[in-house]
Amino acid sequence: MSGRTWASNAVVQGLLEWGIEDFTYVPSSHIAPVVRPLQEQGVRSYLAAREEEGVGIAGGLVLGGRKAALLMQDNGFGNALTALATFAKAYHVGLPVIANARGGPGEYNAMIHSFSEAVPDLLGALGIRVELLGPSDPRRVWQATTRSAAELAVVTRRPIVVLLDLLHPGIGEQE
Amino acid sequence: MKRREALEIIDEVFRDRPLVMTCGAPARELASIARRDSHLYLLDSMGLAAAVGAGLALAGKGPLAAVEGDGSLLMGFSVLPTIHALAPPGLTLVVLDNHEHASADRMPTHAAVVSLGSACRGIGLPTEEVDDGSGLRSALADARAAVGPSVVIARIEGGNDPAVPLLLEDPVTIGDRFRRFLSSQEGEG
Repeated sequence: MSGRTWASNAVVQGLLEWGIEDFTYVPSSHIAPVVRPLQEQGVRSYLAAREEEGVGIAGGLVLGGRKAALLMQDNGFGNALTALATFAKAYHVGLPVIANARGGPGEYNAMIHSFSEAVPDLLGALGIRVELLGPSDPRRVWQATTRSAAELAVVTRRPIVVLLDLLHPGIGEQE
Repeated sequence: MKRREALEIIDEVFRDRPLVMTCGAPARELASIARRDSHLYLLDSMGLAAAVGAGLALAGKGPLAAVEGDGSLLMGFSVLPTIHALAPPGLTLVVLDNHEHASADRMPTHAAVVSLGSACRGIGLPTEEVDDGSGLRSALADARAAVGPSVVIARIEGGNDPAVPLLLEDPVTIGDRFRRFLSSQEGEG
């Protein structure tokens, strides 16, 4: 599993700056460095069994007035797309989705790219905005993008996805 | 029991509380009985009502009901252990069980050969199974008064009423009316 890095810490700080109150998550070893620190900070977390379930629960929290997000891995968008399109997007639910990306440089799985590589295009085809964060973005950009994407999701009443290239070997080389 | 009777009783018991409704003919039928701001009709999110209801309950909006059919529940079955584990307060999951996808040419569901009640109890959720109106009214009242989540499974007849009009409201409007209802409930519940 990958550990905490300046990049995952920046995402955590961005979410805390936004004022995150709750999140649902589907476990992945690469989103764990974001999940665990938020839990340690006392942010309420809800484990979901599948990603569309996570969209439903997080969306319900948002409708209920909470500052809530969904944390997951990008191959789970295969499960989540219908819920994102027919619920979060269609009903104007301001839901930030923070997802670690797979299948690029640093990948060790021979198959996962077959889905993960298509994720930005799949989300784009549904009209769901995607913010990409990678090794060429400095820490302040990771933090500010995470915070402002969450704010934008709420202000514009829609799901917005932040894709984190945490697996890229370049991540470990900065700072 | 006909589905219309079951929906009238659900509407009666949860008249002043949030109600998350599964898609298809049951949603149209509920809207034809009573179109309330407290109703969140999920027009095309099959299998998501229980999860959305759980999120609302975790946000402190209970008591509230989420209504699934047996087909839609089986589509998102993993939500049952999630609900048991997260214990959203005041969530009543109502399952209208006709053993078929009434809106999909009445093709069968596996509820014909699987006991949904046994499955829910096995997961650990307090579960009542009813097959008539008085039993449903009583079970819903008990579930609404419960602290934790509970399940009420109502055995209903199959088929759809072709006379029920389509529900063509914009989902943005449905969501906005529902939010306004929740805002009006601040401090209550």
